[in-house]
Amino acid sequence: MAAKHSALSLKILAECPVTKARACEMKLPHALVKTPVFMPVGTQGSLKGLVPDQLRDLDCRIILGNTYHLGHRPGPELLEKAGGLHSFMKWDRALLTDSGGFQMVSLLKLAEITEEGVKFQSPHDGSEMLLTPEHSIEIQNAIGADIIMQLDDVVSSTVSGPRVEEAMHRTIRWLDRCITAHKRPHDQNIFPIVQGGLDENLRRQCAKELIKRDVPGFAIGGLSGGESKEHFWRMVTVSTDELPNSKPRYLMGVGFAVDLVVCVALGCDMFDCVFPTRTARFGCALVRTGQLNLKTKLFAKDFRPIDGDCKCSTCAKYTRAYLHTVATNETVACTLLTVHNVAYQMSLMLAMHTSIIEQRFPECVQKFFEDMFPEKNYPDWAVKALASVNIVLK
Amino acid sequence: MKFSVEKLVQGSCRLGVLRDVGKLKNQTVETPFCLLYTRGGSVPNLSNDTLGYVQDLPPVALMPLNVLAEHHETVQEYGKGIAEFTVMKDFLVCCTMQDPCTAAPSGYNDKTSVALWGRSGKMKVDPELFVKVQEAFQPDWFQCLGDADTCKTSSKKRTKKAVDNTLNFLDEILSKRKSSQTLQKMALFGSIGGGFSQFERERSAKETVARNVEGFALEGFQNDGEEFCQFGDKDFVDILSLTLKHLPEDKPRMMCAVLRPDVVLQAVRAGIDIFDTSYAYAATEKGHALVFDYNYHTPSEEVKDSDETKMSTPATESGFTINLGDKKYRDDFGPLLAGCKCFTCKTNTRAYINHLNNVTELQQGILLMIHNLHHYLGFFSALRQSLREDKFDQLEALIAQQKPHSPDR
Ligand SMILES: [Zn+2]
Ligand SMILES: [Zn+2]
Repeated sequence: MAAKHSALSLKILAECPVTKARACEMKLPHALVKTPVFMPVGTQGSLKGLVPDQLRDLDCRIILGNTYHLGHRPGPELLEKAGGLHSFMKWDRALLTDSGGFQMVSLLKLAEITEEGVKFQSPHDGSEMLLTPEHSIEIQNAIGADIIMQLDDVVSSTVSGPRVEEAMHRTIRWLDRCITAHKRPHDQNIFPIVQGGLDENLRRQCAKELIKRDVPGFAIGGLSGGESKEHFWRMVTVSTDELPNSKPRYLMGVGFAVDLVVCVALGCDMFDCVFPTRTARFGCALVRTGQLNLKTKLFAKDFRPIDGDCKCSTCAKYTRAYLHTVATNETVACTLLTVHNVAYQMSLMLAMHTSIIEQRFPECVQKFFEDMFPEKNYPDWAVKALASVNIVLK
Repeated sequence: MKFSVEKLVQGSCRLGVLRDVGKLKNQTVETPFCLLYTRGGSVPNLSNDTLGYVQDLPPVALMPLNVLAEHHETVQEYGKGIAEFTVMKDFLVCCTMQDPCTAAPSGYNDKTSVALWGRSGKMKVDPELFVKVQEAFQPDWFQCLGDADTCKTSSKKRTKKAVDNTLNFLDEILSKRKSSQTLQKMALFGSIGGGFSQFERERSAKETVARNVEGFALEGFQNDGEEFCQFGDKDFVDILSLTLKHLPEDKPRMMCAVLRPDVVLQAVRAGIDIFDTSYAYAATEKGHALVFDYNYHTPSEEVKDSDETKMSTPATESGFTINLGDKKYRDDFGPLLAGCKCFTCKTNTRAYINHLNNVTELQQGILLMIHNLHHYLGFFSALRQSLREDKFDQLEALIAQQKPHSPDR
């Protein structure tokens, strides 16, 4: 059943009969998004080294912006004056913003969490600031993204004990404050965040509470922060078990290819990560077999494209040898490698989407792992995670 | 390469045509024009895709050897030349020695070689290596190996040495060219140096003219890569004009440097034909957008009237550029330049670029480079038009009005 206040509709096109994977079409105010989807991160209202036209050419439909950064510069007043971030950065497709809480806790050492909100010292003038759930939503309403996040109580995934339980309960209380404060439910979709650290019961309990609220989709948070991969996949799978089929599930901060493939099998629909764009800036290109560090001498006289099968404009025209001469020296290298890395993520997600529809997702997973690990030295956690959804890697 | 002056305007401004340049067999290039400045083989900040957003690009790319030369073995093995290697095969390539935007450390040239400063440090290029590099790169035209390490304050001895070295290198390259099929296909420009010495400039010009070159590269006025503003310097104008007097009318003259629009016009008056777009890049690097008016058709009084009525942001500052990093553009939702038809101005605002500047996002460089290239190329197109229409002095007056009070604009 569709949520009452919702600017999102999810159409499940196909479900994998073997795993928990599904292929959907998610309709947002600014785009029709095919899932599983990877969302490149444009932290400060720009995707490093690309203009929006290039993202459109890559068939990218949704990108992410960071509320902490955008709330500071250019700030909500200016964004409101500009008519929102879409208009400010000339991106007419979908946007998603985080709540700002995660960045605050991870970037600012002095952040302190109270029931009221996240208290922190302004990195600019040293004054004490407070980000409340209401304030986070207010900024996100000014930014105007298609999907916005509740402010959650973020605890490092390596912390355990009563603090984790406290954070889980507080996250639920803050969700209710966020929903009340949300002024644009008709054109912005708020997602609550499943917390609960690395405790299966807390995760289940949290998810069960959240799904009682009338929200258009759910995020799984607090992972990919240094916990063991064993913990990571178990927390993902218990979360997706609890979440309703009819709504999208967004696994926050995950973007390595292996993680993406496993977590799609575990039932996640949406992902984001700075990794593909950040690694491009350091001269690394993502390929089926892993990554190529184009700075190394190995590529100095390699006149092949990064990936002969890749359809991106970089691979159509540029050789590894030329990229070697400019990698990290010229800004154009960042553009060229970012185009390729975003294309790589897009094509990986599209390959999964298509294989789910064609009812051959398990074969797609098998092929991916064979390419990535030709020696078949598959990571143990991935083998277990996939076995839990009936894929046995050969 | 063939060149002819089609029309001489006001005694010394040359409206000319280049023919038979490299692959461009059936196409002609009207001068004065500017070469498309590249660094490391790409227009700075722009990939092949984003360069495509700029309309009416010049047909020739300028590729200074300083950062490229060290890759000559790679390009040799690649076998298809530097244009194809750098994905610039839609352009002809002109290889020069030094980057107009980068200072070359002084004091490293000698009788046998010239120092090029690339990514991995100093590379000493002697005639033999120089020929190897050119054979690998296969440009359509190239500037001869030369010693341009002079400026206004150079000693007499240094200036003389530079001219001697350059002439010796030219002789060696000319003799090596006889046995190189590849080099024979390329147009060779001789370098004319001599710092600020009238005597050395004349010697350099006369000696170079006596040799078999297709054109001339004027250099050695400065060696620090700074914006070239010395046209305010009377000595400079005199020396350049005097040097050019010794050059034959039917060969093109190139001067690659970061040149403000007023300086370009003075150089055209002195008789230069070929420039480059490095000024557009230098402005981009500073976060500046070119906004000077080159529409000399509008009578100046009308300009004033419409200025007062239509401008949302009054042009309170003088100069050819605006600094997008300035706080005053924070909430300016107008384009970089009202009426500009470039890709950037069509959709983006000053406020957005101000934001990108504040947070040092790479996209600023892309968007500014596109606008600045578009604007500088538009200026050159207007410049040629003004020569055709005998209205060069109108353009000069319009540009002079906008001349900055402070030297950095
Ligand atoms: Zn590619
Ligand atoms: Zn423009």
